[in-house]
Amino acid sequence: MIEIQDIRKEFDGKEVLSGVTQTIRKGEIFAIIGPSGQGKTTLLRILNLLEIPTSGTILFEGTPIQASPDSNLFRRRMGMVFQSTVAFRDTVFNNIALGLRYRGHSKKEIHELVMKKLDEIGLSGYENRRALTLSGGEKQRVSLARVMVTGPDLLILDEPTANLDPVSTNVIEDLIRHYNREFGTTVIMSTHDLIQGQRLADRVAVMMEGRFIQSGTIFDVFLHPSSKKVASFIGIGNIITGRVVRNEDGMSVISVKGVEIYSIDTIPPGTPVTLAIRPEEITLHIVPEEKTSARNVIAGTIESVRLFGIISLISVMSGDLKLSVQVTWQSIRELDLKPGIPVTISFKAPSVHIMPGESTHACY
Amino acid sequence: MNDLLTGIETAFLLIQTADPEVIDITIRTLQITFSSVLISVMVAIPLGAAISFREFRGKKTAISIIQTLYALPTVVVGLLCFMLLSRSGPLGDLGWMFTPNGMIFGQTILIIPIMTGLTISALQAIDPIITDTIRSLGASRFQFLKSHLREARFAIMAAIIVGFSRAISEVGTAIMIGGNIKGHTRVLTTAISLQTSMGNFNLSLALGIILLVIALIINLFMGFVQNR
Amino acid sequence: MISKSAIGIITLVLGAMLFCGAVSAAESGLPEHSADRLLIGTTTSLDATKLLDLLTEKFETENNVDVQWVAVGTGQALEYGRNCDVDIVMVHDRVAEDAFIDGGYGLDRRIFGYNYFLLVGPESDPAQVSGLNATAAFAAIDTIGADDETVIFVSRGDNSGTHSREKLLWKNGGYDYAAINISPWYREAGAGMGQTLTMAEELQAYTLSDSSTWGAYESDLTLVPLVENDDAFLNIYAVIRINPDTCQDVNTEMAKKWENFMISPEVQDIIATYGIEEKGTAYFNPALGNEEFIGVTIDETTDPVV
Repeated sequence: MIEIQDIRKEFDGKEVLSGVTQTIRKGEIFAIIGPSGQGKTTLLRILNLLEIPTSGTILFEGTPIQASPDSNLFRRRMGMVFQSTVAFRDTVFNNIALGLRYRGHSKKEIHELVMKKLDEIGLSGYENRRALTLSGGEKQRVSLARVMVTGPDLLILDEPTANLDPVSTNVIEDLIRHYNREFGTTVIMSTHDLIQGQRLADRVAVMMEGRFIQSGTIFDVFLHPSSKKVASFIGIGNIITGRVVRNEDGMSVISVKGVEIYSIDTIPPGTPVTLAIRPEEITLHIVPEEKTSARNVIAGTIESVRLFGIISLISVMSGDLKLSVQVTWQSIRELDLKPGIPVTISFKAPSVHIMPGESTHACY
Repeated sequence: MNDLLTGIETAFLLIQTADPEVIDITIRTLQITFSSVLISVMVAIPLGAAISFREFRGKKTAISIIQTLYALPTVVVGLLCFMLLSRSGPLGDLGWMFTPNGMIFGQTILIIPIMTGLTISALQAIDPIITDTIRSLGASRFQFLKSHLREARFAIMAAIIVGFSRAISEVGTAIMIGGNIKGHTRVLTTAISLQTSMGNFNLSLALGIILLVIALIINLFMGFVQNR
Repeated sequence: MISKSAIGIITLVLGAMLFCGAVSAAESGLPEHSADRLLIGTTTSLDATKLLDLLTEKFETENNVDVQWVAVGTGQALEYGRNCDVDIVMVHDRVAEDAFIDGGYGLDRRIFGYNYFLLVGPESDPAQVSGLNATAAFAAIDTIGADDETVIFVSRGDNSGTHSREKLLWKNGGYDYAAINISPWYREAGAGMGQTLTMAEELQAYTLSDSSTWGAYESDLTLVPLVENDDAFLNIYAVIRINPDTCQDVNTEMAKKWENFMISPEVQDIIATYGIEEKGTAYFNPALGNEEFIGVTIDETTDPVV
């Protein structure tokens, strides 16, 4: 439905978007994830015709639209919800009705549609309240209603829940899902919270430094991050570099800071590699003789224990190599895990994820 | 202090007895001020919107100039209009010298900069995200303008109130263009000026109080409209 | 979508329009220099006595016209005449009038009245001018004022007829006006006669006033007349109509009628008695019958304007 072709955007000589290309299918929820300041907002604004790209094309159902920003023909088929809440100095009713008024609906129609929307967003009875007095979450619901009441084909959201509390975030996410399912609205949204991307999106793209550096389903990205940058954004810990020393039994043995790690990828010896291991795929053993089928078994000492709610990360040092292991809080208490305790960690060879084409290259 | 009390007393007396001359100059004051405010609104608000929403070279300079004109002394405006409206001047054929129309002309010129400038301030104070939303919803040019004016209506109303206040209180232009002719171009401010120069201070005070009372009533009404 | 604020604004606009409509209605009898309006440029001294109010009321009932006047200094009145902003001027400065007429701006000067200037000042009279003649009095102010701080003279300073006479008196006394102007005891007010008298009252100063304004203000002031009835104080009022050749739109018909009105025996009578009831003496003296005394020709006081 939307085709983004090599969009570039420069502001004051600085390149904010350096060639974005993607196709978004009708009816899907597409999430752009990535750290702030990487161009997500700019891209979305270009899509919503609020900015003109320096070069590149946007096709909306086959028609180029990027150069005709004031063409209400296309503007009226999309809607955008921004990160900061938008509330006009007016009643909630009038806030939601604005787009309908622009389109010239009758007073009766407007009343019907707006009241219905108020009901959908759970703000029935709020129609005469002044919009500026609402809470952040409520205002964002109103913003969503303001857009959806006009029945757009495309809904664009720029980090819509970034400033909201968890309860409001849930409400908004539910609404997005609802509108996508009920009306088949195509959704393009950006978020810096990849778990949100996981919850909502059919497909995602990771945006860094003005381009999509990986796109696919959320699992593609999670399980197979295509680069160190993506990996570190996703929050895989344990990104380490080393060199393949030999091949053995169809596996590659990589030496990382003197420690040998087995990986299932076959890579010629001598190749420098960067690899990542998920903390949740490493198991911690207090008792060294515990049997394990894992190929990689490394002895070390607990260096630090960091609590993150019910899951915690324990850093284990083995010589110069530091690896993070995910352990439940309960285990930490039961086993009284503290820095200094000698432990063994184990992980399977398939858990060692090698990232292609890196380690000696300078960055992008 | 004595004069002040006598002044207040006189004011009440004049109002109570509905002194015809006072009524005459009061009505004329309101006619002229309302007229100039009305005309200014029709010029200043569209002008302010045009300047505010367009990007053009020298925009900052234009806004600076407008704001500098806030300080235009009324006598200077009076002098300029005098040169324009005098029979021997370029607009002499209008025959507006020493008439209320001439005074309306002068007052309008006086308050247009203020109203325009404050309209621009009002519009520029709108969060850009509101503008984005208006555009994003597909507003036409007219809808765009209307929505912005509506969003800034509080501050724009304030601009109108300021314009009205400056118009009703000015003397310099009214005297130079109107000539303070009894029954024809005399207004509250010029009458106050005359009475003061004649040494009738308590009468001047009384007229001054009446002017303030009127301004208060108008402002209360405008405030009421503003807050709805 | 008529919001409440829209209603408010509409009300305001309608209200304003109502008023504007009232303006037009009220002013309907008042287009520019049409045959319906006669605009006089005159001096504050004529205005202050309210003589014009009386005379214009009479004239208006006899002729279907609206007579208005702007009261400013002689200088400004003549300037209005030059700019064609008035139909006729009534002033009292022979020298300026001559220049005006010679310049082709005015026609048919007629003299209609006279009074005197007088020197008024504080009762204490620090410059001791009481009893002196005009020239000597001025000299005394300068001499004694040089040493005595309480001696102050307030001048009109506004190119009015009174101001011109004051300057003439200094000149006649052999003084250089520029030097007088910067003397420490000299205060240039730049104002009308009434305001100048008020200032003189506040400062307890001397000032030259015309007798009509003085008559109107006298009772409110503590100042007293100190030098009067000097030939040098004679103050002659003239009416001059604006030349239609220099000003196309001037209301010539009414201007002529007004001039004839002013020199008519009836009006001269009114002038002779105006103020007697209130003040005991008339504010002005009629020109008719006193031509020789004031040094003008019979023609100037009686010749009808055609």
